[in-house]
Amino acid sequence: MLEKTGIATEQDLAGIMPPKERLAQGPVAVIECFQRIPCNPCYTACKRGAIQEFEDINDRPVIDVDKCNGCGICISNCPGLSIFVIDETYSDTEALVKIPYEFLPLPEEGTFITALDREGKAVCRAKVHKVLNSKAQDKTPVVSLIVPKEFSMVVRCFSIDDFYSDNTIICRCEEITLGQVRELIRKGYRSLDEIKRISRAGMGPCQGRTCRQLIMQEIAAATGVKMGEQRMSTFRPPAKPIKLGALLGGDDHE
Amino acid sequence: MKKTEIVVVGGGPAGLSAAINAASLGAKVTVFDRNSQLGGQLVKQTHMFFGSQKQYASIRGVDIADILTNELMKYKDNIEIHTDSTVIGMYEDGMLTVEQDGKYMKIKPQSVIVTTGASEKFLTFPNNDLPGIYGAGAVQTLMNVYGVAPGDSVLMIGAGNIGLIVSYQLMQAGIKVKAIIDAAPKIGGYLVHASKIRRMGVPIMTSYTVKYAHGTEKLEKVTIWRLDEKWQPMPGTELDIEADVMCISVGLSPLAELLWQIGCDMKFVPELGGHVPVRNEELETSMKGIYVAGDVAGVEEASAAMVEGRLAGLCAAKNLGYTSDQFDALKADYLDQLNALRSGPVGEKIRKGLDQLVG
Repeated sequence: MLEKTGIATEQDLAGIMPPKERLAQGPVAVIECFQRIPCNPCYTACKRGAIQEFEDINDRPVIDVDKCNGCGICISNCPGLSIFVIDETYSDTEALVKIPYEFLPLPEEGTFITALDREGKAVCRAKVHKVLNSKAQDKTPVVSLIVPKEFSMVVRCFSIDDFYSDNTIICRCEEITLGQVRELIRKGYRSLDEIKRISRAGMGPCQGRTCRQLIMQEIAAATGVKMGEQRMSTFRPPAKPIKLGALLGGDDHE
Repeated sequence: MKKTEIVVVGGGPAGLSAAINAASLGAKVTVFDRNSQLGGQLVKQTHMFFGSQKQYASIRGVDIADILTNELMKYKDNIEIHTDSTVIGMYEDGMLTVEQDGKYMKIKPQSVIVTTGASEKFLTFPNNDLPGIYGAGAVQTLMNVYGVAPGDSVLMIGAGNIGLIVSYQLMQAGIKVKAIIDAAPKIGGYLVHASKIRRMGVPIMTSYTVKYAHGTEKLEKVTIWRLDEKWQPMPGTELDIEADVMCISVGLSPLAELLWQIGCDMKFVPELGGHVPVRNEELETSMKGIYVAGDVAGVEEASAAMVEGRLAGLCAAKNLGYTSDQFDALKADYLDQLNALRSGPVGEKIRKGLDQLVG
């Protein structure tokens, strides 16, 4: 129940869902504002008059789906971040969901993120189509995601981590995941050695034979610095872990 | 001793609005604020405000502080601003005493607009003095004024608007919010705020309160438990949440010491946060020439504080002979705006509170 958990219910949503025929025609705004509060910027922001005039500032927004062309100006104007634009005509199987997102780092266009539902649960992997962050958005960027059509009314947020990141081991010896490596790159660790020293990736039994290339690939993907141009890490003997006893030349002494 | 026509105590949303209106009508206004920067709590508010265009809806609080300060500077001939200055006394003969940089100062105005805001309420539970347990205001100051993260993982107590907004700001700062708990059975803040946090994966747990804080040097873990319909804790429902920060956001109460000092009629109105001054429609208290606006007059949203400030500034100036032919229209407009902001279901508590105050 929305009032206890913050999660809109099927019933709440049934009242605001645009008709199927309208969704088939192109982008349209969906306003998930279920409580009467004193607030009307969506009405003042819409230049097409698609949001009905408020008689009382506490009125809930009512949208005329035939006047709405899905331009999305209202998205960044909603102080409650409760407006989304859905475009089910993006492709035969995919829809666009436009989401207000006030977090850094912003995702990059063309990358994959993990799409979340209204509870923050992972729903699917989604590609970032566009990131609008101009003066018009005034620090409330709008991110459009390409999601499978059946999730157009489910996906309402995302985590910048790729869906598979946290399940994907990059360094088996030290159990470092792809998600951790990406997080370090985002934090500014931009070379193999930096990542090795902060995370221990590459310091285990295999000495980086699995992870070295993979980490360099990730650095290349995030920074654009090609693998050949990246600084290789420092190699020192021994090339594989050995027992101290081996260095002492003996094998019987404990 | 200095003299002025109107002293505004506090340069937050209400005080700035009051000073703008009074100065624009020609009154000589002196503003005192204890902080080094004007704007009060606005400077910590990175979210867009609700309300309508007249109350700067859709603009971020921190930007509204700039808008109001710039508007005030248009009347700089009538305005004197003292920052880092705390009004520490109000006396029956109308004298105000001020502490500024360790110096003591006296000023005698003809009228005072008290816009001192509110202070935070606290909670009682064992170990509530452990380092890492903060009020939400302190967390906002650390984070948004000084750029300091209060810790790594936070348990937020209180799902009112401040608890929800501060949780969101913590997440924007890259800090993990473990959960938001609230003793009430329902989320007190705007549901759109709740939804935007929930969809980032943060659980909001209503009917829960703090049982015990654990830690030796600093907070390490919090035990929470469920409350039944009578708000009584239910043994056996305990849950442990690991966190190095607990942020307490369980409401505000009006900061009304100055009004008590000078002898204003005060009334305890829980709906408005505690003891509030009795006042008339023009926001004048039982003491002639002493006006109030904003949270000190009853805790509500900053949008209402700004409108109240405008109204108090307009009326205080008029009583000193500074008026315009727009007076009636402006006053009616401010009252309309306040009514509109308070008219809906979320304003019900405020309306109930104000009904007890008609003075």
